[in-house]
Order: sequence, then structure tokens, then C-alpha cells
Amino acid sequence: MSMFAHTETNARSRLPGGKALGGLLQRLGLGGRGLVIAIPTLWLLLFFLIPFLVVAKISLSEAAIARPPYLPIWEWDDGLLNINLNFGNYLFLLEDPLYLSAYLESIKIAGISTLIALLIGYPMAYLIARSPENQRNILLMLVVLPFWTSFLLRVYAWIGFLKANGIINNFLLWTGIIDEPLIMLQTDFAVYVGIVYSYLPFMILPLYANLVKLDQSYIEASADLGARPVTTFLTVTLPLSASGIIAGCMLVFIPAVGEFVIPALLGGPDTLMIGRVLWDEFFSNRDWPIASAVAIVMLFVLVIPIMMLRKAQAVEEGAS
Amino acid sequence: MSEGQLTTDAKPWADPNATPFLQIKNITKKFGAFVAVENVSLDIYKGEIFCLLGGSGCGKSTLLRMLAGFETPTSGQIIVDGQDQAGIPPYARPTNMMFQSYALFPHMTVEKNIAYGLKRDGLPKNEIATRVTEMLSLVQMDQFAARKPHQLSGGQRQRVALARALVKKPKLLMLDEPLGALDKKLREETQFELIKIQESLGVTFVVVTHDQEEAMTLSSRIGVMTAGEIIQTGTPHEIYEYPQSRFVADFIGSVNMFEGRVIEDGKDHVVISSKELGGDIYVPHGISGVEGQKMAVAVRPEKVRISRTDLGEMRNKVSGTIDEIAYMGNSSVFQVRLDSGKRVRVSQSNLTRDDDDALRWDDKVWVGWADDAGVVVAS
Ligand SMILES: Nc1ncnc2c1ncn2[C@@H]1O[C@H](COP(=O)(O)OP(=O)(O)OP(=O)(O)O)[C@@H](O)[C@H]1O
Ligand SMILES: [Mg+2]
Repeated sequence: MSMFAHTETNARSRLPGGKALGGLLQRLGLGGRGLVIAIPTLWLLLFFLIPFLVVAKISLSEAAIARPPYLPIWEWDDGLLNINLNFGNYLFLLEDPLYLSAYLESIKIAGISTLIALLIGYPMAYLIARSPENQRNILLMLVVLPFWTSFLLRVYAWIGFLKANGIINNFLLWTGIIDEPLIMLQTDFAVYVGIVYSYLPFMILPLYANLVKLDQSYIEASADLGARPVTTFLTVTLPLSASGIIAGCMLVFIPAVGEFVIPALLGGPDTLMIGRVLWDEFFSNRDWPIASAVAIVMLFVLVIPIMMLRKAQAVEEGAS
Repeated sequence: MSEGQLTTDAKPWADPNATPFLQIKNITKKFGAFVAVENVSLDIYKGEIFCLLGGSGCGKSTLLRMLAGFETPTSGQIIVDGQDQAGIPPYARPTNMMFQSYALFPHMTVEKNIAYGLKRDGLPKNEIATRVTEMLSLVQMDQFAARKPHQLSGGQRQRVALARALVKKPKLLMLDEPLGALDKKLREETQFELIKIQESLGVTFVVVTHDQEEAMTLSSRIGVMTAGEIIQTGTPHEIYEYPQSRFVADFIGSVNMFEGRVIEDGKDHVVISSKELGGDIYVPHGISGVEGQKMAVAVRPEKVRISRTDLGEMRNKVSGTIDEIAYMGNSSVFQVRLDSGKRVRVSQSNLTRDDDDALRWDDKVWVGWADDAGVVVAS
């Protein structure tokens, strides 16, 4: 595929920086061909590539109590260029089990959230795609409506729902189902709720776009050949919406891995997600090099899902 | 005529004691206020190849989709093999359908597409494999078994769709424009195959087509549809030789139509005076009309005789000039401009290879037809 198509899909999918950056990384050598599309290229360069290089640079330097809090990686000294690349930051990530478990925990939480979002999002997308044409836009509007308020506010609002004397507990106490408030806030459960809630539209929209194109006559042909609705769903609908499923899952999974706000606000002290570790390294420990190394590693962790997403998008575009 | 009629010598539809295999009773389908199928009643017998013939948008597919269970009739009843189909979901019906759009599963190979229906029936693997292979060779798609539908040409897709519908050997097979995308030779071959399959499996076919030639070769009977209604049902012979309406006469084959008024209502004939023709038409049998009544007479081009000399005894004859000649190989078609200005189409077999005395442009000629060649149709 050409640089052209590549950058175009990036710009359209409006993903967090990680994806565009990862994609760009692969094609660093192809920059010259992007002249025709100088503006998006420039945009990506300015806002993704340069910050990425800055972060990469910091990740290779040594921490110091200074301003900025790290030592330069090269020095010009009497006609001598000294380059100090400190891979210690990366080695440190391997030494301290905290980081590995934070990565694994993030992937686990993001993975489970993605699965839940898929289980909720697929039926919703399916029903919207199958509803009468004049109602579809209204339903889609409802799906994206939450974006009209700030993400932060919406996550805060969940505190009101989940806390000990929050709406859910009060309701359950009132009905008599429970005698004592459930502890929901500051647990992994709250983090799952927050992630699924926040990223559900990213699951529904690509699935909807896929399912609405699904030709009804395939379903009819399957029924005609003797397949019950469940079989038809499993053998026809599901495989034909595979690219939509992958796109939706990646759009939820990728940002969820690096999520910081949700675990910080809703999660407990032992909800160890990489976004929080990163935050702590940057702001509490002021260890910029370690924090940068954490960020760079996270990016590479995400390269595989990013590539899967790109492939799914290519399939989608080929099909339409 | 073709093989198709061989099996129908029995003519079950003429037997009042025969039970139809498929009964369609007063079926109507409305989409909102639009009536797509209007009060259609049909009896189709076991082993028939019944063709629904009609122009685009006349409701053929809608009727078929109701038989398959994809549309619910607004009113009326469908009975297959004695069983009322109302409320039976498509997957439980003893019918299979070949879709007009083929609807081949894009994510499956040709082979998987054909095997799909057999798998749903839970047949053993090796039997599925043999039947799929049989079908593949029947539609001459053996080399393409591993391809996906998007790697096939239109005609190849059509053949796969046909194979997929046939492989289940259903009691009632519905084909929506089954051969439209095939070239002439393959179409004729496949028509022949369809007839053979019909004979060997005893499957009952309902075939939708807007190709009248296809309907003529394939079918035991034809139902001519227009605007949601079936306006005539009959064997190809009946439909061709005894059209009951102008529409049917016009739609099947080409026809010369002469309008006129009855001027004489005899005991065994009527005479119609036609200004268009510039003469009188003598019709011997079967009809009667009051004097002055408007009528139209349809005469097929191949039943019109053409000659440079007077046609003698013939009662229905007029003179004109040859306007145009189209050489078709097996026959030639002449356009004759009558003295009244009307043009008449005449077709004549080319019996010899070279004819020195052949008719030429601008020749003055006589055209005429035998007393019983014309059919009076409702206009
Ligand atoms: N779901 C529907 N909603 C509204 N109108 C419909 C619907 N399906 C079919 N129609 C209308 O019903 C009429 C008959 O359609 P149908 O598909 O049966 O035609 P057809 O005879 O198969 O034509 P063709 O030879 O072009 O396939 C058409 O005017 C069509 O527009
Ligand atoms: Mg149709």
C-alpha cells in the first residue's frame, strides 16, 4: 500500500497518537513520497513524530535533579562529541516486576473491557443497522451524544453512581435487595464499567458501518438453505462482520491499554495500569527518563493491535 | 418442440381429479399502498416446469419470495404438498430458491457455497463431498471449486447459485431469472440440463423469466404476469397460438395487430372491417360479436403469406410494397407497407440457399393469411 492511503486512513480514524505514530514509524523511510499530501504529513510530523522522537530521546538519557530533570544525551566537548545512551531505563523496567505486572494488568483490563464492549456493542450495532432507515440516524445520534460533554465529567459522574452512598447503592438499599452498601468504587469493577462505558461508541460505530452494508439476501439465502437464525448468525453474519469486529475491538483496546483517567478516578490503589505508572513516574517521581521508557515500550506493545486495525480498515475499504 | 413438453404429455392440469403440488390461492401483496401482487391464484402440479413470464417490476420476484417465505402475503394462502405454508419460517420450508442477485456467500469458496445447504441437513461428510462434486461438474465449474465468488464472472456466479439451489434436491425449486447472465450457447445447454434434472429428480420448478424464448423452451406451462396479476396461464402452445389479450399476443413473439369493427356476424364466422388493414378480415370460428363491436385480430408474422402475384382464393389479403427486408439466416423478415399506410411483418423460411426470384425492396406484393391464422383478442 502506498504512503498516501496509509496516511489517509490515519487522519480519518482519529486515533490517539499511538496508532499514527506506530504506523509512521514503519514507514519512516518513505517520507519523500508524501509530498503530494504535504499537509497531513506535516501535521503527523509535527504532532506525532517529533514528540515521539523527543520522548525516545528522553528515554535514553539519565535522570538528574535539574531542570529539565534529565541529562543531555550528547555533549560537545573540545571538538569531541560524547554520546551517552542510557539503556539502563529499559533494563530497569525489566528488573522491577512492578512494570511487567502493570503492562500485563493493563492488557488484561483492556482486553476484558474490549470483550464486554463487544458483547454489548454488537447487538446494539446490529439492531441499529436493522432498524428502519429513518430511525437509524437518531439512534446513532444517541450513541455519540455522550461526546458532547467532557470525558472527564462523564467519568466523574460515575463516581456519583458507584460510591457507597451513590445512586446505585441507595437504590438497591431502598429496594431491600442489599442491607449494606456494595463497595464498587475504587475497585477493578469500577474501572471496567468506566472503560466499557467510555469506549462503547468506538465499538458500535465501526460495527454499525459494517453491518449496515451486509446484504440481506445472504441472510435469506442461508435461511432458504435450511439454516436456523442462530446458525445463520454464526456462519454468515458473524464472519462477514469480522473486519468490523476487529476494527471496533482495536479502537477500544488500543486507547484502553494506556488509559489513565479512568483507573485514577474509579480504580483502587491496587489497580495497576500502565497509564497510572507513567503518571506517577512523571509527576510524583519526576523520573522523566523512566516514564519515557515506559511510554515507548507501551507503543511497541500496541504495534500488533495497530497493525490488525489497519488491516481491518483496508478490508473494509476494499469491500465498500 | 423441446424436451420440456415430453414429461407433460400427461397434462395434469387438464385432469380435474389431480391434486396440485403447489396451490396459490388469491395471494395479494401490498407494500404500503402499492400492490405488487394482486389476487394471484395458481395451481402447479408435481414435475412441472412452470414459468412466470412478465416485464420488469410486474411482481414475479415478489411472488417467488412469498413462496420461499421471505415476504408474508397481505392476504391469500400458499399450500405446498397439502401443507399450508403460513407461519412456516423459510428454513423449514421444503423449497429452495435461486436468487436473482445470486446471494452467494462472499466469504466461502464455490465448494463451500454449494455444500452449505447439505451441511445444514446434517448429511455425512462423504455424501456431501460426492454431491457437491456431482453438482460442480453438472454446471461445469469443477476447476473453480476453490475460488471465492468475487473471483468469478457473472455467468459463473450464476451457475454456482444454480448448483447451490439444486444440490438439495428440494421438492419445489424456485429460480429467479436463472439463466439471464449466460451466453446463448451455455443458456441452451443449461436449459437442457434443467429439463434433464427435472426429469430425473422429479423436482417441481417455478422459473421466473422475462425472456419469452426461454419460457417457451423450458416450461410445461407459462403464467404471463403484468402489473401484479397473472393474465393468462397455459402451455407454450396455448399462449403462443391462442393469446387471450393484446398484451399476451404482443409480449410473446411478434404479432401483427389489426383493429376493426364487426360488420357481419354469421353462424360460423364473423367478418371484421379494418380501416387499418384497408380490407375485411374473415374469422371462422369460436367467437361472436354484435355488429359494430370493436375487435382486434392478431396474426403472427410466420402465418402471413407474401407473394408478387395475387393470392387467389385467400379471403384475408391486401396489397402493399416491401419497405424493408431483414435476412436472419434461417428466415427473412419483410416489412410490408400496406396501401392504408400500416406496416405488416411477414416472416418466411429460407428454403433454398439462393433464390434468383427472391423478393426485393420496393416490390409490389400481396400479403394474406388463411382463415384460421388470425386470433381475435380482447383489446
Ligand atoms: N420491499 C419492497 N417495498 C416496496 N416495494 C417493493 C418491495 N419489493 C418490491 N417492490 C415493488 O414491487 C414491484 C414488483 O417487484 P418485483 O421485484 O417482484 O419485480 P420483478 O417482476 O421481479 O421485476 P424484475 O424482472 O425487474 O426482477 C416493483 O414495482 C417493486 O418496486
Ligand atoms: Mg425480479
